[in-house]
Amino acid sequence: MGALTAPFAAPFMSRALIEMALLALVCGPVSVFVFVRRMSFVADALTHTVFPGVVIGFGVAGANGIFGGALAAGVVTAVVLTLLTRGGRLSDDASTAVVLTAMFSLGVVLVSRRSSYTTDLTTFLFGRILTVTQQQLVQTAVLAVVILALLAVGARALVFRAFDEAAARAAGFRSTLLDLWLNVLVALVVVAAVRAVGTVLVIALLIVPAAFARLLTDRLLVMAAVGTAVTFVAGYLGLYVSWSASIDYGWRLTSASAVVLVLVLAYVVALPVGLTRGRRSRQPAVDPSCHGQVPGTSELIDGHERMRKVGTS
Amino acid sequence: MSWWDDAVHRALVEAILVSALAGLIGVQVVLRRLSFFTMALTHATFPGVVAAAIIGVNIYLGGAAAGVLVALGVAALSRREGQNASAATGVVLSGGFALGVGLVATQNGFSRDLSSFLVGSILTVDASDLLVTAAVLAVVAVVLAACSRQLTFAGFDPAGARAAGHRVGLIDLLLLLTIELVIVTVVPAVGTILAVALIVAPAAAARLWSDRLAVITPLAVAFGVLSGVAGLYASDRWNVAAGGAITLAATAILLLSLALTRVSIRPKAVPA
Repeated sequence: MGALTAPFAAPFMSRALIEMALLALVCGPVSVFVFVRRMSFVADALTHTVFPGVVIGFGVAGANGIFGGALAAGVVTAVVLTLLTRGGRLSDDASTAVVLTAMFSLGVVLVSRRSSYTTDLTTFLFGRILTVTQQQLVQTAVLAVVILALLAVGARALVFRAFDEAAARAAGFRSTLLDLWLNVLVALVVVAAVRAVGTVLVIALLIVPAAFARLLTDRLLVMAAVGTAVTFVAGYLGLYVSWSASIDYGWRLTSASAVVLVLVLAYVVALPVGLTRGRRSRQPAVDPSCHGQVPGTSELIDGHERMRKVGTS
Repeated sequence: MSWWDDAVHRALVEAILVSALAGLIGVQVVLRRLSFFTMALTHATFPGVVAAAIIGVNIYLGGAAAGVLVALGVAALSRREGQNASAATGVVLSGGFALGVGLVATQNGFSRDLSSFLVGSILTVDASDLLVTAAVLAVVAVVLAACSRQLTFAGFDPAGARAAGHRVGLIDLLLLLTIELVIVTVVPAVGTILAVALIVAPAAAARLWSDRLAVITPLAVAFGVLSGVAGLYASDRWNVAAGGAITLAATAILLLSLALTRVSIRPKAVPA
């Protein structure tokens, strides 16, 4: 056991592990919602759109401004995305793509006037998990509490809206408000994580845990717990592997990439498990091509169909 | 010194060629809602390009090989019960991205390569890049023109197309491979963000002005070329990143279109 914990005796490694644990706690439950609402693209967009906020925040108030800038940009994106997808004049995916590229380019244009241009971009991609400070850990912990509290308050309504939008609206829930709620939650996760671990890792943490967990179970609570567990284990193994690769073999493996690759590897390994589970409880498969469709529309049609049959009989 | 020796002139020609190419394929991407797939393709072909550069193979070849793997991977994963296309695309995207970034990080001077992957370096294209882009533009135009009827039919009514005897799976595969060809050609020159912006924004803007494909397609190409030229001009004038400026120009055209079509074209009574 000594060999497995030795790397984490170094203070910077133990801080990195604590940061990963905090993120695992948050990303398990949040990724479940990203999964059931098919929001992977929105999550990807949010990881890119905080970039101009980081740039502006740094320009205005130095290193202390980064957090506030990212927070502001994340919330602005969440609002813009919710409004654009409500409008219906552009398709969801096209408007997401446009918001993503436009906001990111704004950041690039702003940062390109400075000389340390490429270094800034690289930091944004990788984050600096090995230089996480005590203060950043506290920030992440506070945000984690806020996110989990917001999630706990909204969870029932969010699940309702995810699986049957029409019924949720009929029951008095406002879908636009719930969509905004979820988008803001994802934005908060990105803000909490992006400076420490970089976009490469955040996007994976928001998508892969739930996709992995869904292979093992179809119960939402269990999915959240499994997602958290797999994220923590991948975080530990990734940090460990990147440490040994660079200390023992002199091979430069960035920790963010290592964590993501372990996580994706876990997903690939779990695929056969999901296959055998799927055979045991065979249900009518959902058409994979209709990923923009609202879950619940087919139930609505079924309802009408049933009513008509009742009427004629 | 010939006209071609000026980096800005070469960049101008490349911007026009790339914008035209992206506008052509963008109409299909927007109509079929393949933006996220396109984004995933740009990120996931990245390790192929990097690996090819490390081994010393042609980077276009490496990117193309990785792209085929990605397309097959997304198709296979999203057919798995319980896994939706969105999650499958996301997993492939994040895995490919991490692999590519990790591979780049093992090399020296990697931060410059990474930033050029994201935002491109259109000002450093050489004559061979221009030739490849022009050739691919010709190929894509021919493919789209030759298959336009089948593509439209299969896109709007897959069941009908199948019943009429078309092989829809084959048509879809052809479209995905064409998109991949465009990505592999465009990304090394202009970067992922600009590639996605030029594919989606002009086509989405053109879609607002008309619902006839014969109008949308040339309009998308025109919007693309306009944003390419305007962005390069702004980049030259105010000394900002060229890729970023072109993306912002394309976005501005889309926002203008949104505002103008709201005023001028009354929405017809068509079910949404």
